[in-house]
Amino acid sequence: MSGAVCALDVRSVSKSYGATVALQDVSIELQAGEVHALLGENGAGKSTLVKILSGVVKPNVGTMRIGGEPYEPRSIVDARRGGVATAFQELSLVPNLTVAQNLSLPRQAKGSFGLVSSTATQKQGAAILDRFGLRLSPTAIVAGLTLAERQRLEITRAFACKPKVLILDEPTAALAETDWLFGLVRQATAAGVAVLYISHRLAEVRELCQRATVLRNGRSIGTVGLEDATDHTIFEMMVGRGQAEEMQRRATAGHSTRPAVLEAEGLAGGSLKNISLTLREGEILGVAGLEGQGQRALFRALVGLAPLGSGSVRVDGASVRLSGPDVALKTGRGIAFVPEERKTEGIFPALATATNIVLPVVGRIGRAGLVSERLEREAAAGSSSEVDLSPRYLDFRVGDLSGGNQQKAMLARAMQTGAKILLLYDPTRGVDVGTKQSIYAAIRRFAESGGAVLLYSSELPELVHLADRCLVVYGGRIFAQLSRIDINERTLVAALTGHSIQETAA
Amino acid sequence: MSANVDAVAASAPGSNLGIAIRRGLTDGAGVVAILYVILFTLYALWDRSALTVSGVTNLSNNAAPLAIAAAGESLVVISKGFDLSVSGIVSLSNVLMATYPVEGPGGALVSLLICLGVGGAIGVLNGILVAILRLQSIAATLGTMIIGQGLALVIMDAPGGTIADWVSYTLTDVLFGIIPVSGLIVLAVVASWLVFRRTDSCIGLFAVGADETAASLSGISVVRARFTAFVGAGLLYGLAGFMLSVQTATGNPTAGTPFLMLTFAAVALGGVSLTGGRGSLVGAVIGAATLMLLQKVLFSGGVSSFYTGIFQGAVMVLAIVLGSFISRLASTGARA
Repeated sequence: MSGAVCALDVRSVSKSYGATVALQDVSIELQAGEVHALLGENGAGKSTLVKILSGVVKPNVGTMRIGGEPYEPRSIVDARRGGVATAFQELSLVPNLTVAQNLSLPRQAKGSFGLVSSTATQKQGAAILDRFGLRLSPTAIVAGLTLAERQRLEITRAFACKPKVLILDEPTAALAETDWLFGLVRQATAAGVAVLYISHRLAEVRELCQRATVLRNGRSIGTVGLEDATDHTIFEMMVGRGQAEEMQRRATAGHSTRPAVLEAEGLAGGSLKNISLTLREGEILGVAGLEGQGQRALFRALVGLAPLGSGSVRVDGASVRLSGPDVALKTGRGIAFVPEERKTEGIFPALATATNIVLPVVGRIGRAGLVSERLEREAAAGSSSEVDLSPRYLDFRVGDLSGGNQQKAMLARAMQTGAKILLLYDPTRGVDVGTKQSIYAAIRRFAESGGAVLLYSSELPELVHLADRCLVVYGGRIFAQLSRIDINERTLVAALTGHSIQETAA
Repeated sequence: MSANVDAVAASAPGSNLGIAIRRGLTDGAGVVAILYVILFTLYALWDRSALTVSGVTNLSNNAAPLAIAAAGESLVVISKGFDLSVSGIVSLSNVLMATYPVEGPGGALVSLLICLGVGGAIGVLNGILVAILRLQSIAATLGTMIIGQGLALVIMDAPGGTIADWVSYTLTDVLFGIIPVSGLIVLAVVASWLVFRRTDSCIGLFAVGADETAASLSGISVVRARFTAFVGAGLLYGLAGFMLSVQTATGNPTAGTPFLMLTFAAVALGGVSLTGGRGSLVGAVIGAATLMLLQKVLFSGGVSSFYTGIFQGAVMVLAIVLGSFISRLASTGARA
């Protein structure tokens, strides 16, 4: 391959946002006519790479070449000019414009006097829709389309730019069937287009792609030919071999006899299709899932933030109606929720850390109905030591703390409430390694002292490390239930991507 | 969503009239236009002079300044922003014209250029603050509004001065004995909008107003769209100040103050969504005309002028409720 000129050649590209390194020394080569998969867990750096290639974000270091020519896009339009078009995962269609107008953004077809001609734009749009076999009206407003239709339109728009390099970021997320897309991709590659294909679904990747490059923690781990690589090899590249094996944990049974503290039966509504679970005293129940499989709705439903279509919830054996976090907190032994968006849903950045921690119980620590700063600080000190948050931070504004310390404060707040059931949604997102360890320890201590924890994490090692049992959600349902002995990253990754467990665990 | 109205109408001339009408109604401009016709009929019934040339001219002269200011505001609102600088620019243009009156057609032109210059300059400043430095539009334009009002007070500390006779006489007059000049100027603004609507910049304005991220990922320059909106708005506020001066024939450093609330009322009444991405400049113009007409109707109906505000507010709320009701009806109808 060394002699031929690559369609796209990315060399040692790095990108960091402040202190956070998103990509480090990533290299990838695409041949003309190849469908090349980009694989990696959530947060491995795929989106950042897509943004760099599409001209949305500029890399800090590294070089890119297209067909041997230097490629340094300054904008989306510039990238298109350079021959790169992207169908974005989050879809980049403008909702209040028509299908045809979207297809010809940013420049509409012109009629007389150089003015936009809607007739010409429509004709042009209709021709594109026809060419790519999309049965949509060019005059339909995008806001009125279904998600699948929008996804198709997004893909079509990228194809219509006649790129040399086509980037498809999770193009099948909203598509029920893939024949239409795969047909188009094969047509394009036959004409010499190089396609970078990003998908969580390995079966799809195997069907369509020839080679795959794996990213992990922002680095490119390697490129493999998909013919020779087993699912094993790929999973190991994605999660890291050492980690995958050392994380095998002893099976500590015994939870099954303890009383159930939180039971959910047939929860449905919103993105939840049918979820039942039982959380027992002293147990850490893990929840794993790719983005948007219903885990968020599940957690929100369990504290009454999202309405339930059907299903029932029992706390300490008694049937309850949870209408909001305040009610959840007072139900049975108490349910406390730590949301993922600590910036928008969790902290009050302008208040002191101590105030943030005692906020839910502020009525209890006052004297004669007035809040005393000293009592507040004393109460906060107790729970902050449980999460290993240094007391010197208590007087700072919580907004000035690092992400890790903010997260500790959030956890301390949940514990401060006295609730014995904790719902933790990705508690270590964006948190450094040391802080993670203290958070893990705090969670484990909480469970050992008789608390019960429902823990979602986007980081699989965390679930392997902490969970006594683990549920895998997929499409709003429980796809798999793993007991502790079965929880390892390989089975998890397999289950996450919709593979049955036996296949890969063997 | 005027761009779409025109897309549908052009796709199948005649046959899709129903859809076009529905779009027109959901656009908001339709509702307020009907409202205007109803009010005008009432006015004509009460006051026979409404239908005379001088009656119409009077209405037109009255409504023109607010209509043009609301037209400017609609540009910013469509791109999902707020522009409070309108009252600063109107006051500043007014006192400049009253302090330096220049006679004759040449004088009118010079005065107009001064007003446009003031409005354009503040518009550019707003554009830099909001589009480039990404400040919140309310905060930034609140600042420029206060600056404008402050400058107006420095130039003229109390009401006074006069506008050049030729200017104030000619521009409030009628052409060929039947067409009000002020009406022509408003029509010119509307005509420019109809042309602008058929440019990529205008489509960019709507796109940015609806979804900034999607627009930028679609290759639209968000900075340019916002900048265009603020500069266009500033120029129109300058023109509004010019027309106000022509009508009042005197200077007042606080002349622009009532414009702040009334432009937003006109924009909302005209069906321009304050959350961006939806509406039309035409709606805002008719909205402004409706608010001014309402004053006349109440006056001729013998209602004390103290009640004007109550009625204006009530009509505005009513029109918005009606507009959202119709658009909800239309969207469920379209889905069924």
